[in-house]
Amino acid sequence: MKLIVTDIEDFDFKIEGEHKVINPQGNIKHCIGCFGCWAKTPGECVIHDGYERTSLDMGLCDEMIIVSECYYGTVSPFVKAAQDRAISYVQGDFIIKNGEMHHKHRYPNTIKLSAHFYGEDITEDEKKTAKDIIEGNAENFHGEFNGVYFYKSKDELKGLKL
Amino acid sequence: MTVALINASPKVKGSSSGILLNDLKECLGNKVDVEEICLRTSKITAEIIEKLKKADTWVVAFPLYVDSLPSHLLACLKQLEKMTWKKPNLNIYGIANCGFYEGNQAEPALNVLKNWCAKAGCAYKGSLGIGGGGAIAVSGNMSGKNSLRANIYKAMKKFADRIVKKEGEANKYATVAFPRFIYKIAAQNSWRKMIKANGGKTKDLNKRLDVELTDTSVNKRIVYEQ
Repeated sequence: MKLIVTDIEDFDFKIEGEHKVINPQGNIKHCIGCFGCWAKTPGECVIHDGYERTSLDMGLCDEMIIVSECYYGTVSPFVKAAQDRAISYVQGDFIIKNGEMHHKHRYPNTIKLSAHFYGEDITEDEKKTAKDIIEGNAENFHGEFNGVYFYKSKDELKGLKL
Repeated sequence: MTVALINASPKVKGSSSGILLNDLKECLGNKVDVEEICLRTSKITAEIIEKLKKADTWVVAFPLYVDSLPSHLLACLKQLEKMTWKKPNLNIYGIANCGFYEGNQAEPALNVLKNWCAKAGCAYKGSLGIGGGGAIAVSGNMSGKNSLRANIYKAMKKFADRIVKKEGEANKYATVAFPRFIYKIAAQNSWRKMIKANGGKTKDLNKRLDVELTDTSVNKRIVYEQ
């Protein structure tokens, strides 16, 4: 299953195969750092606004594709809120991998993670930061980095096949 | 000189960002005036703007969430980028705290703050990336000097000197004053205590929701597009 997380409300891109799209449907609440999704209702965010089980969607997908406006080299607040609310894709416990601390895996899948960033004036520094962050996400999800792509506008995304 | 200490943790109390900013405030002493600000939601209020207007230096402290800034802080930065009342040559410093032991895992997130400065016309002056955030959160009642924050406090003193002198430098990184394996074990113990305090069992910590999907009542709640 492909999981698409995007801030585009009227998202109508062509997507091949089984998929799920997470996009703005009403207001998403932001993570409050309570750790409830690790130590109260493991795997599920304690805020019930329709986005509390995104970590399960991540656990069921083999590919995750982010389509987001670029905010200074990272994703937009909607996409970030969805990501922050889904940290229970991994567990609170730590492991050491390649000499660095990371969270332990909860699900057995391996996510191929890519991101498509759009924005009028994405700078070279922002592109580098975006790549570093998506690579970092892939590492922290115990997944595989599958590229970052940049577009000058939302219109330029048209025709994108996911 | 007025320094705005901006706590961008979404937590109402007991945040590591708040504890680190208290250490910074102590290190700054009476050399500067301080405005303390909390950014807990996605909106910059008129009251926050009034406080920010007074400052010629901002220190933005935030927790590292998924290799980046918390979502509400990104929304706030977008609003602040376009605001024209910001002082020219406004100095920006950052403090990022990671749940991971290694403070340098915050580097990409600090680069987001740096990139924001370039867009907003502010001067990025460097930041502190702090590791061991989980331990910092439980050390709020201890003095920074002699506690498990001792290494961080040392770095904070130098950081405060740079802020007072309005000096810029490359990002610096520090972590808690005990070995990584102890931090790892302490974290494991704390999750086990928390789940039990919440009425659960240790084995619940690694619960997988997809296993629940064999239960048809749960299955009905999951609808996938074709």
